[in-house]
Amino acid sequence: MPRSVDAEVVVIGGGPAGMAAALSAWEWGARRVFLLERNPHLGGILNQCIHPGFGLRLFGEELTGPEYAERYIEALEKTGVEVLTDTTVLEVGEDRRVVAVNREGVWIFHARTVVFAVGCRERTRGMIRLPGTRPAGIFTAGCAQYLVNIEGYLPGRRAVILGSGDIGLIMARRLTLEGVKVEAVVEIRPTLSGLLRNYVQCLLDFRIPLLLSHTVLEVLGKERVEGVVVGKVDEKGNPVGEKRLLPCDTLLLSVGLVPESELLKKSRIPLCPLSGGPFVDEDFACDVPGFFACGNVVGVFDLVDYVTESALRIGRRIGEAEGYTPPRFVLSPLEGVAALFPQRIRRGKDGFLYVRPKEGLKKARLSLIHNGREFHSVALPLCRPGEMIRLDLARVPWPEEKGEVQVVLRGEKHVDVL
Amino acid sequence: MKVYDVAVVGGGVVGCAIAWYLAHCSLDILLLEKQEDVCCGVSKANTGILHSRSYWTPGTLKGEVHLRSLSWFERAFRELGLSPLRCGALTLAFSREEARHLEVLKKRGAIAEAAILSPKEVLAIEPRVNPEIHAGYFDPETMVISPFALTIALAEGAALNGVEICCGKEVVAAEPSGRFLRIRCGDGTVYHARFLVNCAGASAVHLARNLGDSLPPLSFFRGQYFVLDRECQGFVRCVLYPVPTEKSKGILVAPTPEGNLLLGPNFEPTQGEDTATTRKGLLEVERGVQRLVPDVPLDRVITTFSGVRPTLPERDFLIAFSPSLPCVLHLAGIESPGLTACFGIAEYVGELLARRGLPLRERNDFRLRVPSRAFRECSLEERECLIREDPDWGKIVCRCEEVTLAEVKRALRANPPARTLDGLKRRVRVFAGRCQGSFCGMHLPRILENEGGIPVHGLRKSGPGSFYVLRRDEVAAYAEVR
Repeated sequence: MPRSVDAEVVVIGGGPAGMAAALSAWEWGARRVFLLERNPHLGGILNQCIHPGFGLRLFGEELTGPEYAERYIEALEKTGVEVLTDTTVLEVGEDRRVVAVNREGVWIFHARTVVFAVGCRERTRGMIRLPGTRPAGIFTAGCAQYLVNIEGYLPGRRAVILGSGDIGLIMARRLTLEGVKVEAVVEIRPTLSGLLRNYVQCLLDFRIPLLLSHTVLEVLGKERVEGVVVGKVDEKGNPVGEKRLLPCDTLLLSVGLVPESELLKKSRIPLCPLSGGPFVDEDFACDVPGFFACGNVVGVFDLVDYVTESALRIGRRIGEAEGYTPPRFVLSPLEGVAALFPQRIRRGKDGFLYVRPKEGLKKARLSLIHNGREFHSVALPLCRPGEMIRLDLARVPWPEEKGEVQVVLRGEKHVDVL
Repeated sequence: MKVYDVAVVGGGVVGCAIAWYLAHCSLDILLLEKQEDVCCGVSKANTGILHSRSYWTPGTLKGEVHLRSLSWFERAFRELGLSPLRCGALTLAFSREEARHLEVLKKRGAIAEAAILSPKEVLAIEPRVNPEIHAGYFDPETMVISPFALTIALAEGAALNGVEICCGKEVVAAEPSGRFLRIRCGDGTVYHARFLVNCAGASAVHLARNLGDSLPPLSFFRGQYFVLDRECQGFVRCVLYPVPTEKSKGILVAPTPEGNLLLGPNFEPTQGEDTATTRKGLLEVERGVQRLVPDVPLDRVITTFSGVRPTLPERDFLIAFSPSLPCVLHLAGIESPGLTACFGIAEYVGELLARRGLPLRERNDFRLRVPSRAFRECSLEERECLIREDPDWGKIVCRCEEVTLAEVKRALRANPPARTLDGLKRRVRVFAGRCQGSFCGMHLPRILENEGGIPVHGLRKSGPGSFYVLRRDEVAAYAEVR
């Protein structure tokens, strides 16, 4: 028979979000805390991110991914959190029954609290409906990153990277350092998708061309990629005629990340259509009592520091063991916002609001509106889709009356990369 | 010198079905496939619909073998351990004229439970169908199967009963040598057989030419498809057909046994075996499908693909002995419904060979194929038992389709074995889920090296040129040349 385990907290996913959530639950007094990770090691995607740039905000120093992960792995070792690696969660019931398997068998956890820290996955060729042949040599950037940094193999000799997301930019530099010729990074939008610092450090410094308002129209090659047809597009992303052939044997896709919300759907947690993840409040509690979600399953963060910061908020809330109270405010984007989270505010005394701009703007203003009245705003000289706006909730003078809060981001259109 | 009774050339669904059928008799059978695995050509990319009697074409060979095949289904599924999706089909008419065609289908099918339904009745079965329909024809006998699952099951069933399957063997010539045929392959290997059956699919005419025969030229028609996420399971329950035209059965919606939804195909002439997708073709499929079910969740596409249908000018199957070599049987132009008709074709081919002296004595030790378990289809108790037997059942390597290490290892050791990533995909569905291999693609190379003896740098997606990754020194050498 499957083994049955009573747990106070089950955290699903041992990446930065899950590690921080388990740690904070323990620190706020929870016991019988289980951290379930499907890979043989904790750390999640951090393990393959061997470049520096992690921890600048949280630790004030520049760490690599594995170094950043190590800090939390060490901290966890000092707690009584039970870590099960090589363990895959198959389903989570509405009754917070978590079914997992590993080489020992089937586990059924009966949890008082379930924390989803399952991260996100990369958008694929099929999702962007990239036409052409289906040869070997098409990788998502993160898959290629694993093969290069963990396995020590290279995806090919000449690469084109579609999408200017951060992993794509990082991989452009990584492949160049390994002797792979990176022909271009091709971005369908008129603005960069990733962080500006990655553009400078990964593309500019290595003279890798960035083709904005361009996309890959077709993949060529029967067995292995032989080239891609790259063409210019209009604002809606439709080809405008001008196109050329870029010979290459590898195509990396860095065309966005989507929260891995499939497990949450099975436990009927309400999902936000905009972010793809669950609705959460400022403590990252879901709309259903007993469920939390943190990290990139909520929505895709651009810095791991923010992931940790958000996940660390969960423990206090579990510790307080407060009953479920409906949120005071429900945030909804009205204009200029691609995604925002948390979408619910319960106290509004601390924590942060993360907002991803829809497009590049200058002289912008982020406003919070309640009953038609703007009760808070911040001025933003420049904002880009690649960088999230982080608003300190403690500084927001929340209105007395409960209700819906509309979030508006307005400014002058700004399409330059720099 | 080993002399086979029959050499079947081509490891598609037709070749595998013939090999499996003949394996019921005491015969030495050889199956030669030019690609690295079976099910790599025309058979790998189609809807997988097992068309019912309503869709047979009277007065054609295609129709005759189609009907013959239907009576084989239940026996074949039992012997092969297959369970197709018995979902039925609705053919949707959008005008009075189209509605008249439904009568033709009903009459042709003569299926007791089949019925012509009013729009209201159609919507009661399939509420997502376009409410502007005029009428619908419900046919309970239509089924859907995975074309890979069927072809590979046939190959495994054949191998289990002694058929020798050799991949990577392209037949380039065959000449009489005494009472046998001497069959020469591109890599220099030579085989001897009494009969040769040309099931080379898209290359059938080419192979016939190599053997000295001139068959009518094949033209190729391409069909493009969308595959939707398994989360769309239940969006529709039946296969939804439009009213068929002279050219094709039209752009349809099909649930699959794996839980995905398949949309397509369009129908367009193409050059040879060009299986690229195009923006235009996919758009055509999108429009065609939206006509049947307006709110089809096209945002849940996980992949697109296209398949080709090799067709002869008369649009019928050709199954005939070679005029020059009496022991060579050619099959050409096996397009739709080739998958459905595969058992009927095999039986028909068996009869033709028997008439030329092949002794068909049914053996009494024919072995049934026991399908491998799929972890995702097991109950928790069954999973617990499997893991206790072999802990590899507890290691999930593909989380989208919940494929375990044990299943991967089994596919690597099957006969015929998976030797490529595509071969593995078609057997256990790694790479076939919503992440399309971006997760399992990280870990599989190492697993295949450790468990299958395939070195990471020798791993291929499919054919010889389709390397997956390179060693660092291979790239460094290239960088220097540059």
